[in-house]
Amino acid sequence: MSMEIIRPDTNIDFIGKWKICVGISLAVIGISLLAIPVRGIRLGLDFAGGHEIQVKFTEKLPDDEGVVRKIVSDLGVTEPTVVRFGEADSAEFLIRFRGQDGQQGQVADQLKVELERGIGPVELERVGFVGPRVGAELQSAGLKAIGISCLLILIYIGFRFSPRFAPGAVVALIHDIVITSGVFVILGYEFDLTVLAALLAILGYSLNDTIIVYDRIRENMALHTKHDLADVLNRSVNQTLSRTLLTSGTTMLAVLALLVAGGPIIRPFALAMVIGIVVGTYSSIYIASPTLLVLERRWGVRATTSAKGSRPARA
Amino acid sequence: MSLRLRAGLVIGLVLFFAYLAVANLFSSEARKEYWFLPANGLRLGLDLQGGIHWVLGADLKVAYEHELDHMKGQLGEQLGEEKITPASMSVKDDRIVAELASEADASRLAKLAGDTRAVRVVVQTGTRVELELTPQWRKDVAQKGLQQVLEVLRRRIDDPVHGVQDSVVTPQGADRVMVQIPGGKADREAARNLLTVGGFLEFKIVEEQAPTEELLRAKYPQGIPEDKKIVFEKDKTTKRVLEALLVSKAPAITGDYLDDARVGFDRQQRPIVTFTFNPEGGKIFQALTEKSVGRRLAVVVDNDVASAPVIRERIGARGQIDGRFTSQDAANLAIVLRSGSLSIPVPIEEERSVGPALGADSIRSGLNASILGLFFVGAFAVIYYRLSGVYATIALVANLLLIIGIMSAFRATLTLPGIAGLVLTVGMAIDANVIIFERIREELRSGRQIKAAISTGFSKAWITILDANVTTLISGLVLFQYGTGPIKGFAVTLCIGLITSVFTAMVVTRLCFDLYPGERRVQQLSI
Repeated sequence: MSMEIIRPDTNIDFIGKWKICVGISLAVIGISLLAIPVRGIRLGLDFAGGHEIQVKFTEKLPDDEGVVRKIVSDLGVTEPTVVRFGEADSAEFLIRFRGQDGQQGQVADQLKVELERGIGPVELERVGFVGPRVGAELQSAGLKAIGISCLLILIYIGFRFSPRFAPGAVVALIHDIVITSGVFVILGYEFDLTVLAALLAILGYSLNDTIIVYDRIRENMALHTKHDLADVLNRSVNQTLSRTLLTSGTTMLAVLALLVAGGPIIRPFALAMVIGIVVGTYSSIYIASPTLLVLERRWGVRATTSAKGSRPARA
Repeated sequence: MSLRLRAGLVIGLVLFFAYLAVANLFSSEARKEYWFLPANGLRLGLDLQGGIHWVLGADLKVAYEHELDHMKGQLGEQLGEEKITPASMSVKDDRIVAELASEADASRLAKLAGDTRAVRVVVQTGTRVELELTPQWRKDVAQKGLQQVLEVLRRRIDDPVHGVQDSVVTPQGADRVMVQIPGGKADREAARNLLTVGGFLEFKIVEEQAPTEELLRAKYPQGIPEDKKIVFEKDKTTKRVLEALLVSKAPAITGDYLDDARVGFDRQQRPIVTFTFNPEGGKIFQALTEKSVGRRLAVVVDNDVASAPVIRERIGARGQIDGRFTSQDAANLAIVLRSGSLSIPVPIEEERSVGPALGADSIRSGLNASILGLFFVGAFAVIYYRLSGVYATIALVANLLLIIGIMSAFRATLTLPGIAGLVLTVGMAIDANVIIFERIREELRSGRQIKAAISTGFSKAWITILDANVTTLISGLVLFQYGTGPIKGFAVTLCIGLITSVFTAMVVTRLCFDLYPGERRVQQLSI
C-alpha cells in the first residue's frame, strides 16, 4: 500500500472546535498588534536609511568590538553599533550607523583608512548606504506593493469565488500577514526588502491551501445539499487535509534548506517564509472554514430564507 | 499527437533549455571561442560577482536655479532694450523676484514673462512681480539636466585611458542615475571622484591674497565688494587652507571652451594637467593673459583653487594646471575636464557594494541551499510516492533547467534573492505534483482503473494547480514592478518558476506516466 500521513478515512472534528481556534487566533493577532507599539517595528537599512558596512581584517584582529566601536565613534557618526559577524574569533565585523551630513557615500572609505591606521589591513566586504530620500521612497514603495498585491488578490478572489466564499479567504489572508509580521516583531528581527519579498510571497502562497479547501467545500455542497453545513465543511477539510499538509510540508523543506544553508543574508527571508507557511497552513485548516460557517449562519441563511435580502433583484 | 512525437518534443525542449543553462558553467571567453556554445548567458548580479553599485541623485533644484538665472538675464536684457531698469531682480526660493519702478513697468515685465514659454507670473502686486518656471518647462529642464548628467558620466566611465571598463550607467526614475562597476577591484575613491566631481573649471584674475580668510577680510574694512568672492587653495589630503584669494564672482573664462585636457609632467617630473582651448576660447584666453601679465591667475575647479600661478607672458590656446597633484588626481582631473562639467551635483544617494570574496561566498551558499533543497524535496517525493516520486523529481530537475535556461536566453540577472526564489520554487513546484498524485490516489480508492485514475487525476487537478499558482504569481508581478535590484531578481525567478512548474507538472510528469505504465496493464500503480 501507499505511504500515507493522513489515512483516507480520517475524520477529525475541526469545525466543532472553531470557537477555541478562532479564540487562539484572535489572541495571537491581538498580541501581534500590541507588539508593534510595545516592541516597535525595527526597520532595516533599506527602509530606515543609514550605513551598513561589513569589514574583514586580513592580518591583525582587533581584541573586541569595543576597539572597533571606538574608531567608528571617532569618525563623528551617530548611533554606531558594531557586532562581530559569525563566531567569537571571526575576523569580520558588521558596522552600522546613521548618516553623517555632507559626506554621504564617503564614510566607508574614511572608515577603512582609520581602521587600517588603528588596527591593521582591512577589506570592505559589503558597503550598504541608503540616503534618507531613498529610504523614504523604498518605504512607500514597499507599502504600495503590499497594498496593490492585496487588492489584486482580492479582485482575483472576487472573480474566482462566489461572494459567499470571498470574505473567508480575505480573513485568512489578513490573519496570515498580521501574525507573520507580529511574530517577526516579537522575535526582534528587522524588516527590510527581502522580508517584504517574503511577506508578498506568503500573501500569494498562503491562499493556495485555502483555495484547495474551498474548492472541495463547493464540490461537496453541490453533492450533499441536505447535510448540515458544519458537516460538509468538516468533511471537506478532512478530505483535503493530506494535500494541505503535504504541499506546505514540501515547500517547508525547501525553505528549511534555505534557512540552514542559504547564508546570513538570506536567513531573515527564510525565517519569514517558515513562519508564514506555518501560519498559512493553520489558517486554511482552522480559520478559513469556520469563518465561512460563521458568515453563512449569520448572513447566508437569512439571505436565502428571506426574499427581501440585501439584493432582492437577485433573490 | 502520437506519444512518440510528444515525447520527442518535450524532451527536445527541456534539453534545449538545459543546454542554455549548462553553458553558463563555461567562461565567457570559452563561450565566444566555441561555436557550439551560446555567446550570451545568465548575468550575475553585483551581489554575487562583487562590485560597486551606486545610485546617484541628480540635484534638480540646482538645474531649476540655473534656468531661472538664465531667464532673469534674458528678461533683464529685454527690459533694458525698452529702457526699463528694475529696482531689484533676483532669484530666490525657486522664483524670480523683481521690484520695478512703476506699476506700468511691472505689467510690462509680466507681459514679457508671459510671452516666454519658460516662466509664468505667480504674484503681481503693485510694482512687485514674482515669476516661476512653468510645469512643462520644469519637466523639460529636468529631462535635459538628467540627459546631460548621463552623457557626462558615460563619457567619464568610458574614457579609454582612465575610465572603468565594463561599467554601466543607466537612468533610474526621473532624477537618478544607477552606476554599476563590476568586479569589486575598482578603486572606490578614484571611481567616486571620477563620477561625482562637478568638473567646473574657471579662470579668474586674483585681486588680493592672504594666508587666511580673516587676514584677507581685514584688508577690506567696509567688507568685500559685492561682485567679488573669496576662494581657497587647500592641501589635497588634509583640506587645510593654504591661501585665501579674492577673485571676481564672474569667471574670465570657463572650461566650456576647452577642446582637450591631458596628463603631463613638468620639469621635475611632477604630474600636471595640460589643456587646449578651442579657437574662440584661445582668443579670450590670449586677451585675458595679455592684459594681466604680472598678475596671478587662479585656476578654480569646483570652487576650490587648484593653482594660482603668476602670468609671466601672454598665453595662447594651450596652458597647464600645476596643482601639486598625485598622478591619480591629475588623471581624474584630465578626464573630468575632457568629458565636460556636470552642471548638476550628483551626490551618492544609495550604495550596495559587495566585495568579490563575499560574492563568491554567496554563490557557494546559494548553490548549497539549492542542492540541499532539491535533495530534501526529491527524497521526500521518492520515499512518499515511490516511482511517481521519481517522476516528480524528474519534473523538478527539468523545472530548474527550464528556469535557468529561460533566464539565460533573456540574459536576465541572477541575484542572491533570486537564488532564494529558485529554491522556493523547488518547494512550490512539487506542490503541483502532490496535488495531482493525491487526486490520482483518491480516484484509485474510489475504484477506478489505473489508466482512468491517472487521466482523471490530471484533468481534475489542473484547475486547482492553475489557481494555486495565480495568486503567488500576482504577488511576484507586483514585486517585480515595485522592487529594485536584487529583489527584482527574486521576483524574476519566482514568476518564471511558477509558470515553468505548471508546465513541468502537467506535461513532463504526465509524459512520464504515459511512458510507463502508459498502455501497459499493470496490477498496481507505484504512487
